[in-house]
Amino acid sequence: MIITPKEMNDKLDDFTVIDIRPENQQIEFPLIGLDPFISKNGSLPDMDGKRVLVCQFGIVTEGMILENDLENTFSLLGGAQAWDEFYREQQDLSRWSRQTVLPEIGIEGQKKLLNAKIAIIGMGGLGCPIAQSLLTSGVGQVHLIDGDMVSLSNLHRQPLYSPHDIGKKKVKVAQEKLSKLNPETEIKVSKAFLDQSNGQSLLDNSDIIIDATDNIKTRQLIDQLSKQLNIPMVYGGLFRFEGQVSILNVNGSPGYSELFPETSTGGETCEDAGVLGMLPGIIGNIQALEAVKLIVGIKSNLVGKLLIYDGKNHKTEIIQL
Amino acid sequence: MIKVKIKCFSQVKYALGKNEIIMDLENGSTTLDLEQMIREQGKDKLNDVSLRVAVNQKYVQNGIELKDGDEVAFIPPVQGG
Repeated sequence: MIITPKEMNDKLDDFTVIDIRPENQQIEFPLIGLDPFISKNGSLPDMDGKRVLVCQFGIVTEGMILENDLENTFSLLGGAQAWDEFYREQQDLSRWSRQTVLPEIGIEGQKKLLNAKIAIIGMGGLGCPIAQSLLTSGVGQVHLIDGDMVSLSNLHRQPLYSPHDIGKKKVKVAQEKLSKLNPETEIKVSKAFLDQSNGQSLLDNSDIIIDATDNIKTRQLIDQLSKQLNIPMVYGGLFRFEGQVSILNVNGSPGYSELFPETSTGGETCEDAGVLGMLPGIIGNIQALEAVKLIVGIKSNLVGKLLIYDGKNHKTEIIQL
Repeated sequence: MIKVKIKCFSQVKYALGKNEIIMDLENGSTTLDLEQMIREQGKDKLNDVSLRVAVNQKYVQNGIELKDGDEVAFIPPVQGG
């Protein structure tokens, strides 16, 4: 069983808190505001009543409880790291403990995600997995932009939509489904196709623009707005079994017009050329991953590079732009 | 003669029916010469397709002379999403 820092704090008198960590970990997050029993070498005292075991990130204690089938025993979700944040900032981030445990993310990275505003243009094959992954990672606001309606041929690759959604506006259906994934993320929707007249007003409050469209013309417009507004663009595109991803326009790094010149033509849409549903799932998730890395500040990313992924043989190619 | 490896992506792959091709070229051949040959092999399937070229995983803007052992990628834009 697990308990969040907030739940434990609300019923603190009901529990004995047992700190199972070695001393070096106790120094990093000293369980301020608690008076824990300090366990040596992971041994637990004989006692009646409910107890909460605390390790650094809430992973070791979950394992201990399962392995030893411990009764009346809870693992503190997110461990001492999550308690520390809750006590000092009154913010329970334990929901994201499995990503805040990553040194590259941590509590600070999670806070950046919680404050991030990301626009997703196109709620089709790429947009659906992008939105799902950004919400579950805790992004503070997503803005879904699409004027399209759900059709039967969308369903095999756009997992937010069901047969009974056919004919409804994609952004409205997506908003309803996504709000259940993470009620804390603000989901803005715009039932419109991006164009010259609405582009700036739709995008100018975003930290990142994600291109999940299905045509070169709109990509070129997004690129132009991304440069004009100085907002990075995470590009993704598909052709049959193949997908492309790049991060464009970061402090003067190459944009879509450098990737493919303005006169570029070619490539059918997924509706015309066909696509398996898994491919947009993979490419969309790579776009979401790159967006998260950009927000958190993880340097190893696709800025100035084009990733090409082939779903048939699982080969990837990274081209320096 | 020089030997180069050609990596085909998206429409190029479907037009030529291959992921990779090893090709012998005359000394002094450029990426533009190679693109011409690829377009001829692809016949009308590549007529309306723009191609970007990368040599050894790096984009090249204009035609450059190829060396023995180079890997040349032909990358079209893709529409789908």
